[in-house]
Amino acid sequence: MAQAKVNIMHDATTTLRPPLVMGDKSISDVTRDICAPMDRKPTGLWWGAFVISLSALILGVVAVWYQIATGIGTWGLNKTVGWAFDITNFVFWVGIGHAGTLISAVLFLFRQKWRTAVNRSAEAMTLFAVMCAGIFPLIHMGRPWLAFWMVPYPNTRGPLWVNFKSPLLWDVFAISTYLLISAVFWYVGLLPDLATIRDRSEPGWRKRITAILCLGWNGSARTWHRYETVYMLLAGLATPLVFSVHTIVSMDFATAVIPGWHTTIFPPYFVAGAIFSGLAMVLTLMIVARKVMNLEDYITLTHIDRMCKLMLSMGCIVGLAYGTEFFMAFYSGNGYEQFVFKNRALGPFSWAYWTMVTCNVVIPQVLWFRKVRASLPTVFVVVIFVNIGMWFERFVIIVTSLHRDFLPSSWADYAPTLVEIATFIGSFGLFFTCFLIFCRIAPVIAIAEIKGAAHLRRPRAAALPDERDRAA
Amino acid sequence: MSENEIKTYWREPAERDGDAVVNVQSSASAPPPFSRRQFLEAAGFTVSIAAIGGCGRAKPEVALPLVQQPEGLVPGRTQRYASTCGGCAAGCGLLVGVRDGRPLKMEGMPSHPLSNGGLCAIGQALPLGLYDSHRLSSPLQNGKASDWETVDKAVKEKLNQLPNDAAVFFVTSTVTSPTLQAAIDSFLEPFDNGRHVTFDAVSSSSILEAHQQTHGRRVLPRYRFDRAKVIVSFGADFLGTWISPVEFTAGWRSGRVPSAGHPEMSYHVQFEGRMSLTGSNADRRHRLAPNEYAGVLSLLAQDIAHRANQNPPSGTPPTTSISTDDLHNVAGRLWDARGKCLIVCDSQDVTVQMLVNYLNEVLGNYGETLDVENPSRQRQGNDADLANVIDALKAGKVSALFVAGTDLTHNLPAHETLVKSIREVPLVVSFAERVDDFASLAHFVCPDHHSLECWTDSEPVSGLISLSQPTLHPLGKTRSVLESLNRWSGGNETAYDLVKSYWRERILPRAKTQQPFQQFWDRAVHDGFAEVETEAIVPTEFQADDVTYPSTPTAEDGFTLSLYSKAGLTDSRHAHNPWLQELPDPITKVTWDNYVCVSETTANELGLANADLVRVTAASGESIELPSFVQPGQHDQVIAIALGYGVRGTDRFAQIGPQWLEARPTVVQGELVGKNAARFLDFRDGALQLTQSNVKLEKITGRTQLASTQRHHTLEVPRNVAPHGAEVRDIVQETTLPAFAEHPEAGKPEVHHHGDKQLWAEDHHKTGHHWGMAVDLNCCTGCSACLIACQSENNVPVVGRDEVRRQREMHWIRVDRYYSGDDDDINVAHQPMMCHHCDNAPCETVCPVLATIHGEEGLNQQAYNRCVGTRYCANNCPYKVRRFNWFTYEHDDDLQNLALNPDVTVRTRGVMEKCSMCVQRIEDGKLEAQRMGKPVEDGTIQTACQQSCPAQAIIFGDMNDPNSRIHQALENPRRYGVLEEFNFRPSVSYLRVVRNRDDETEEHGSGESEHHA
Repeated sequence: MAQAKVNIMHDATTTLRPPLVMGDKSISDVTRDICAPMDRKPTGLWWGAFVISLSALILGVVAVWYQIATGIGTWGLNKTVGWAFDITNFVFWVGIGHAGTLISAVLFLFRQKWRTAVNRSAEAMTLFAVMCAGIFPLIHMGRPWLAFWMVPYPNTRGPLWVNFKSPLLWDVFAISTYLLISAVFWYVGLLPDLATIRDRSEPGWRKRITAILCLGWNGSARTWHRYETVYMLLAGLATPLVFSVHTIVSMDFATAVIPGWHTTIFPPYFVAGAIFSGLAMVLTLMIVARKVMNLEDYITLTHIDRMCKLMLSMGCIVGLAYGTEFFMAFYSGNGYEQFVFKNRALGPFSWAYWTMVTCNVVIPQVLWFRKVRASLPTVFVVVIFVNIGMWFERFVIIVTSLHRDFLPSSWADYAPTLVEIATFIGSFGLFFTCFLIFCRIAPVIAIAEIKGAAHLRRPRAAALPDERDRAA
Repeated sequence: MSENEIKTYWREPAERDGDAVVNVQSSASAPPPFSRRQFLEAAGFTVSIAAIGGCGRAKPEVALPLVQQPEGLVPGRTQRYASTCGGCAAGCGLLVGVRDGRPLKMEGMPSHPLSNGGLCAIGQALPLGLYDSHRLSSPLQNGKASDWETVDKAVKEKLNQLPNDAAVFFVTSTVTSPTLQAAIDSFLEPFDNGRHVTFDAVSSSSILEAHQQTHGRRVLPRYRFDRAKVIVSFGADFLGTWISPVEFTAGWRSGRVPSAGHPEMSYHVQFEGRMSLTGSNADRRHRLAPNEYAGVLSLLAQDIAHRANQNPPSGTPPTTSISTDDLHNVAGRLWDARGKCLIVCDSQDVTVQMLVNYLNEVLGNYGETLDVENPSRQRQGNDADLANVIDALKAGKVSALFVAGTDLTHNLPAHETLVKSIREVPLVVSFAERVDDFASLAHFVCPDHHSLECWTDSEPVSGLISLSQPTLHPLGKTRSVLESLNRWSGGNETAYDLVKSYWRERILPRAKTQQPFQQFWDRAVHDGFAEVETEAIVPTEFQADDVTYPSTPTAEDGFTLSLYSKAGLTDSRHAHNPWLQELPDPITKVTWDNYVCVSETTANELGLANADLVRVTAASGESIELPSFVQPGQHDQVIAIALGYGVRGTDRFAQIGPQWLEARPTVVQGELVGKNAARFLDFRDGALQLTQSNVKLEKITGRTQLASTQRHHTLEVPRNVAPHGAEVRDIVQETTLPAFAEHPEAGKPEVHHHGDKQLWAEDHHKTGHHWGMAVDLNCCTGCSACLIACQSENNVPVVGRDEVRRQREMHWIRVDRYYSGDDDDINVAHQPMMCHHCDNAPCETVCPVLATIHGEEGLNQQAYNRCVGTRYCANNCPYKVRRFNWFTYEHDDDLQNLALNPDVTVRTRGVMEKCSMCVQRIEDGKLEAQRMGKPVEDGTIQTACQQSCPAQAIIFGDMNDPNSRIHQALENPRRYGVLEEFNFRPSVSYLRVVRNRDDETEEHGSGESEHHA
């Protein structure tokens, strides 16, 4: 068995990896614990969070409605800076959407069993983040009611067709594919748990709905077999998407001629950045959720430790990319290119640049220390910084490249308007509203998977690290 | 089957056999409550009643075809009529494009001897002034709308009541129309004390006064910049606003085209305190406060007199801050070019102007570059007369005051006393087209026609007389001043009759060849002008004795305030034209405001940043609070404010532009567009002085934000972020004349040439036409006429102050302006920038819906109705020439919409737009050529910007035609493309700037090595 391999680094007291589930649980304990939030009425905390999220969502809806009714002019864009908050938010949310697939598909294929505690919520997060992301390219259009023109469908306009040279069109394909695969993957993974809920529920609406949704799951070996085959295939399909989506998003910039955008390093740089920000967001949510939903036994410090390590490595790649960009600008001998990067670091938006560097490169370095990784409050603070930093990364790429490009006569400033800020807040509202509803209606941990991955009711020796965790 | 037989149908056998029988023909005893017949009757009745009801009498609309179709009139096709621009007194030739009865597009008359086909921004903006719903549509009597009969009766009654010796003053701006002049004279004839007084808001009266002294005649010479090899200007903004800028630009331009075989150029030195458009185009610009002009001119006079072995002016020359080396250099150049040089000055000091005359005389320029025998009539303001009027007004001695063509109270200082005394005049008549400041005081406002609505004539320079013809029926019940005066003198003639009879009697005899009147008249109407003999002027000997050195100005501690007029707005006349209000000042690039220009040193001393509020206080106590503007090249002791702002009624623009959550009004509640600086005009030494010394400048709390279209003003990138070796961008390339003479490609930056290798196969072969454009930066003065030409041609919306502030102006063509050098020797470059129609266009590849595509003839086409508005194309445009419709811009003024060009779509919100190289004109030209069965001739298709350019700096044509001017321009050694090294392959080229300077140091553009410090 994979977990049984000796891990010398880990612990002197045991040669085995720590168990993935703490608290000496039985199989029914697991089901009961995870389904508990669904069984009881929402807590005051949930209601509080929900009201705040919903308010933010409503604010966003009003802002978007106003903007569509009045014009893009309600944003702070101008003749030189044609994208700013809109595409920054888009890339930010797409990036966040990456961790879900990474954890679900890639780690699944690599047989990383620890993923089972976080994959469900990471997938849900992906789904909601991609939904948030998808809104921005839609509403950033001057005439969003004509968005369907971006789709190559048979039409009566003669030879008029979409432009397959345009990265924005690739975006349409990439994002919609990603959304579709993520949704299917999430839903397929949910099937056995839906069956569990069906079986646990008293006769009533919940039972009836879950009975339909679980597609007649009967728990037979054949069902399990087919389910696992499909899941494996979907994981295989989803894996390339982890790399393709953000590669294509990065091409929005990389294929442009604007110095600061026109960079071949963008695809790997963006993918690393996306995973980085996605992990940060997963951690943000997990740290809160395990506390609020009493899932400390399932989402253990081990999980957090591993995610921190992954995040640290991604952060280092991102930092390397920042450095490479500067080197390439220097090495290119192209004055425009050199200027853009100097201007990033020292120009009017240098505050944004240094915020980005501090949050994404400097602060995550503390994760080298195990003590830091084991301290939840510290990790929480770090991941919040990473979230902020990754938003600024996109802002810096988009706005600082645009605001001072080739002709100095056109150099411009940018400042967001209230409408833009409200829209941004609204996207968080949508995300958290969806996530909070998800916590109420579906198991936040894949029950079936964690049962398979965890060694339940193991001898006491294996539980030793658990005690150490609690002490910390 | 007999008719009576009842046919029976059954539904089922039971029915057939049973009782229930369904009768098709109703024979039941009780008929249904509403039979079919009744229903049809009722329905028929209802429908017909409804139809009859709907046939009520609609308002009859007459849409009759013309019984006699005018010759050549094709509905939908533009007819062009020759006319004369009424925007100012310069009298440029106009070609009015009239479409289906409405004048739409003003173009320069190519054959006009003065303007040479050029037209300035004001001329281009005439249609919007015409279709202005705020213009008066009927005469006013005591502020209330009236009709002409009542007004005529009342005015005549009042006039009859006047005693013969009553003081009647008729104040006008410069009248160039001989017919109008005659009408005014004859109107004033019955009054012994009737005086016609000419008042120019920006006056040049001292030039006329000086010629009175030196030449014995009060004339304004006609300046011939086309003949001048050396031009020395003291503050005269002759390319921007001074007297006749289009004419002067055309003349100046003729000396600015060096070629490889003939590397010669005129030499232009500008001495000035503020930064003017003309100064920005000078080969050498010296900062000099206006009160020091006298010193420099005196030393020049001394130097030149010495060289010419003539008596210098009497007295001792005042001192100056300009180095003697510089002066010696200028004097030497002048002396070398004697008879072919020109010295002009905008000073209102008569002794200074006499010194200028002395210099021009000693240098032998009279008769060569200055023509006093065929003088100009473009500025006739007589400030001494005006002072008499004001004195008489203050003394309460004026019985009647008539004002035409100017806003007397707005344009004069001491507003309150003036208003008070005008209120006491028994008869005050204004001919203003709207209720301006003076008209609000008038008993009668008799609105004049717009210049496009009436017959009139103009003699801007002696011997050149041009006609204005109406291009549409007057929109309101306005009346030409000619007709009004005629009515009040008892006549009943139309302006047409008046002009025509005047021409028959007075102009025909001056015709160069004897011909029947009708032939002469028809020719003049067709051409728009006639060249006739000048009225004989006997030149007098030059009176050198009276020329003295002016006294040294006393040392002053305050600033010198210099009032100027903004190019494209001049005086208050055009303040109601939103195109012109939104036209960026060619130098400051600020719209919708006036401000106090201060030098950088002054700003630092006072701790001023751009747009900080300052208070300017004159010695007289008059003060004004305005935002400051830090102007490079400004003299440290000089501050400058534009006239023509703060015009009554401009609060109408408060709501112009999009209204939304964070929108700020263009005009703050209770304020106007800018502030009126006329309060600082100063009657001194018999002239209305535009400069004033001993002015205090102080910073006050508060700041605004000026709406500027350009934020960064040099090609040098900010020092702290400048990469080594690329501190200055070679967007504008320039060289010096000696370098150019040596090597015509001088100034070309040394960059790696990547060759013409293309990665992909050419997908647009452009075997037919390949349209291209070239802009000669050496000719372009930056006057911005092209902006308005484009705006008028392409229905570009006005967006208002707040949107400009947010950097969302919509102009398709902009003029980039860059500074280099230091304040004492500043170089300015103007670069018109429009869509480059790149062959490898970055915008085309990124549009997801193919809304911007490459045409077969090299045009980058924008399909508005396909655009979904992602703005990706604008982001990816290296020239940033794409404009996005952020909002639905106002098009709800029906009258103003008449100015829209029906050939060009009005764009909706959310779509991208940009320069189309006037594709509608290209198609029109191609169709016309096809119709004539000929290939498209070079020059028959002209873009709007090219057509109006006073400097003829823009060349457009088919690059595939080896004989075309554009093809030749591409082979010009001065040709370069902006950002060419990126292989965008733009269709727009530029011709390098050549500065006529001795110093070998090449300025920015190529001078990479100089900037390493």
